[in-house]
Amino acid sequence: MSVPTAVSAERHAAGFFEALAPGGRRVLFGLAAVAICLLFAFPVFWLVLTSLRPGFAVYYVHRGTDFTLDNFHDVLAQEIVLKALFNSFMIATLATLLSLAVTATSGYMLSRFKGPIPNTWFSLIYVFRCVPYVSWVLPLYFVTRQLGIFDTYWGLLLPHVAVHICFFSWIMKGFFDGIDPSMEYAAMIDGCSRWGAFWRVAMPAAIPGLTALAILCWLYTWNEFLFALILTSHETPIITVVMAQFVHELGMEWHLMSATAVLALGPALIVTLFGQKYVIRGLKV
Amino acid sequence: MAEVVLDEVQKSYGRVTAVQDFSLSIGDREFVVLVGPSGCGKSTTLRMIAGLEDIGAGTISIGGRVVNELQPKDRDIAMVFQNYALYQHMSVRDNLAFGLRNRRVPEPQIDAAIAQAARILSIEPLLDRRPRQLSGGQQQRVALGRCIVRNPQVFLFDEPLSNLDAQLRAQMRLELKELRQRVPTTSVFVTHDQVEAMTLGDRIVVMKDGLVQQVGTPLALYRRPANRFVAGFIGSPAMNFMDGRLTMEDDRLIMTGDGFSLSLPPTILGDAAPTGQHALCMGIRPQHLRLGGPSGPGQLGLGGTLMVTEQLGDEQIVAIRVGDKDVRIAGVDPDLRLAPGTGLEVSAGVENLHFFDADTGERLRATT
Amino acid sequence: MSLTLNERTRFMLALIAPAVLALAFFQVVPILVGANTSFRDWSLHDPQRTWVGLANYAHVLADREFLRVVLPNTFGFMTASVACSLVLGLSVALMLNRRFAGRVIVQSFVLLPLMVAPVIAAIMIRWMFNDQFGVVNAALGGLGIGPISWLTQRWTAFLVILMTDVWLWTPWFALILLAGLQSLPPEPFEAAQIDAASRWRTFRYITLPMLRPVIVVCVVIRSIDAFRTFDIVWTISGGGPARATEVFSIYAYVESFQFLNLGRGSAAAVIGAVTIVIFAMALYRILNRYVEVSR
Repeated sequence: MSVPTAVSAERHAAGFFEALAPGGRRVLFGLAAVAICLLFAFPVFWLVLTSLRPGFAVYYVHRGTDFTLDNFHDVLAQEIVLKALFNSFMIATLATLLSLAVTATSGYMLSRFKGPIPNTWFSLIYVFRCVPYVSWVLPLYFVTRQLGIFDTYWGLLLPHVAVHICFFSWIMKGFFDGIDPSMEYAAMIDGCSRWGAFWRVAMPAAIPGLTALAILCWLYTWNEFLFALILTSHETPIITVVMAQFVHELGMEWHLMSATAVLALGPALIVTLFGQKYVIRGLKV
Repeated sequence: MAEVVLDEVQKSYGRVTAVQDFSLSIGDREFVVLVGPSGCGKSTTLRMIAGLEDIGAGTISIGGRVVNELQPKDRDIAMVFQNYALYQHMSVRDNLAFGLRNRRVPEPQIDAAIAQAARILSIEPLLDRRPRQLSGGQQQRVALGRCIVRNPQVFLFDEPLSNLDAQLRAQMRLELKELRQRVPTTSVFVTHDQVEAMTLGDRIVVMKDGLVQQVGTPLALYRRPANRFVAGFIGSPAMNFMDGRLTMEDDRLIMTGDGFSLSLPPTILGDAAPTGQHALCMGIRPQHLRLGGPSGPGQLGLGGTLMVTEQLGDEQIVAIRVGDKDVRIAGVDPDLRLAPGTGLEVSAGVENLHFFDADTGERLRATT
Repeated sequence: MSLTLNERTRFMLALIAPAVLALAFFQVVPILVGANTSFRDWSLHDPQRTWVGLANYAHVLADREFLRVVLPNTFGFMTASVACSLVLGLSVALMLNRRFAGRVIVQSFVLLPLMVAPVIAAIMIRWMFNDQFGVVNAALGGLGIGPISWLTQRWTAFLVILMTDVWLWTPWFALILLAGLQSLPPEPFEAAQIDAASRWRTFRYITLPMLRPVIVVCVVIRSIDAFRTFDIVWTISGGGPARATEVFSIYAYVESFQFLNLGRGSAAAVIGAVTIVIFAMALYRILNRYVEVSR
């Protein structure tokens, strides 16, 4: 007994891509790839180009051939810029270290335990993650003033850590979910304490993920704006705030503006270039 | 007529040759099994037939048509995958219909085809469910259904039973055989399990490291393995192998090895009998060994020390140490109590011995 | 047994103790303080901080600016940005999923916006759209289209802000969706090849359903963040022209630090917070059920 032979009368549905000759398809694909590269690279390219043009040539950035590094000299001569770059670097690094430490334990707890306490913690984190910054950054201004840490490193670090808790506990939980708990059980049977199992078995296994997260956290903190805007003032300049101030104050001096922006981009670019493969490796869950 | 012919097919990945000089003619409606250990090239060969891998060299024809340059969808084949590859977000019915809808087959015909396939496979109550709601066996039947509704010239199976547990596997083997009777189609079946190969195949192709070791019916492979690899691969428990030297002495063949010395009539090898001393490997299946000394002139005996026994319920498998190797004997009375360390004698008919060249592994056989 | 439970509980609490403390002091307390402020008439010129109950909330909710401009702006921006980034990001991910010469280069370009601070992106794009010297107007001028004053009209300013946001976040979508695509099992796609599915049908019936869980998560996360956008709007338009591009977070900031009415600013912030929390919970629950069913 065989299935109706009419079924073998097959006419294939021709899609749009199939209708194009393979050569045509490849050209379309190539055009799209180039378009995407241009789309993402152009603003950055334009910024760098502008930063290399002397002040008067800014008005015709796309014409003319004068190039100069004077803008960078002028910008770096301003003490506030130097200080801001330094502060941003310190804050980013310290915040990353603190956040990793705090969120690793939090994520581990969420991953390994079930019950009312983890569930509550999870819900709390989710809720607080959704609360818009503006609603509590403003009062943070008062809190840090009261605690006497306004416009200091701690005044910026601790709020950042608080924010990172909500973001990264989730991700940390994911990392630890992907690590087989049997190794820790084996360690505990072998006499390890819970802390020991966490510190000596789970954490080393999570290092790829931790590295990835560290890089992302550093980048995020380096680029952060709102907290820096509200929680710092003259004592602790931060580069993102300084740049925004320049935009509103410098008006037409786009050559200096762009030079500052390029300086702020630099460390991010370096960290991304070197950290890229660690991020990809670490996030392959 | 849906014959599949592979002619000197080859496939390499960089410097690794996955398949070499594969030539095979599969007759219309024949069920051929490709079997071998992991990495032997069986899946690669199957995927080349399907069109999922490019053919390195050689030609593949289906139904008389060379298909080297054809897309999988144009080769008139259907395939069952190891992990079913069902479309998880469609109902079973839509899974079955997908291939037909893509080919613009009119809906009434699709419905008829699905109804028939569902009847054959007994999956009618499952038609509106999602794959995730089905058991492994049910999912595999749906995968089979996807093949049947298309009514292609060739069915391809890529280790379809490997994901099922042992009991289910045995049941599905039966169902596959029944399906073959109802929908006889040229089939190529890949597996690493020699039991599946033996029970399902009209002919079996044993592969190793990209090369075909032997092609034949199950019984031919069992009784007349071409080389040591096939002899050890087919049949369970596996054949016993004992290395030794064969010399001609006073018109008796003497086979000596570690822990044994046998006197054999020269007729067993005929003109393949070696001159002078020859390093050989002797093979004897556990099923052909009996406890007890030789019972007649056509028998030979071995002695050894009992190591372990395995109780299977209707028989015991006993392992004795001869020299530095363990020799297993199957079919021992399950009620027999034997203590490890006991000296035992076993015997077998000389006609059940196989001799393999120590270097090439080829079986020595008389040409007369 | 109860001893073990205690020890287990203690361990759990110890693990999250530092996080709880940080959260408590630097998120919970500020939120409470903010809530407290919202019920008081707290302007810098009125140091008494008198309790006014819900007056601030009433004022904000009655504020036509808030209802007619800010909320639609915020939700509209959120929807448009997420939709565009999703579609564009998915396209990029599909492209990067195939093997082609120069793939690594394209991938590096795609990653570029991820390391750029939103403020910097805003600066870059604001400069590009400068009405006198920006490159966009220069290019348009070459085509014969008169110079457009991008930042002085509501819709063009919004377009610039939207483009900045899409530029920043498309790579995020692309990366996550690419990871999702790469984790899909290859066999259903091979079966689809044998089933004569065209590229479009494969995408629509196989790829997309399998990606749905990832897409849902991305959309929820990104929607929540888009709602809270501050950096780029502030840097590009400052909420102008004349508050026409104000989104909710700018509104709260302006009320607090420019009108110096901290009470009203806090009220606005709380309203926004409640809105997004409700929205997020609803979205999470709907999509969770949706994802369950599609499993």
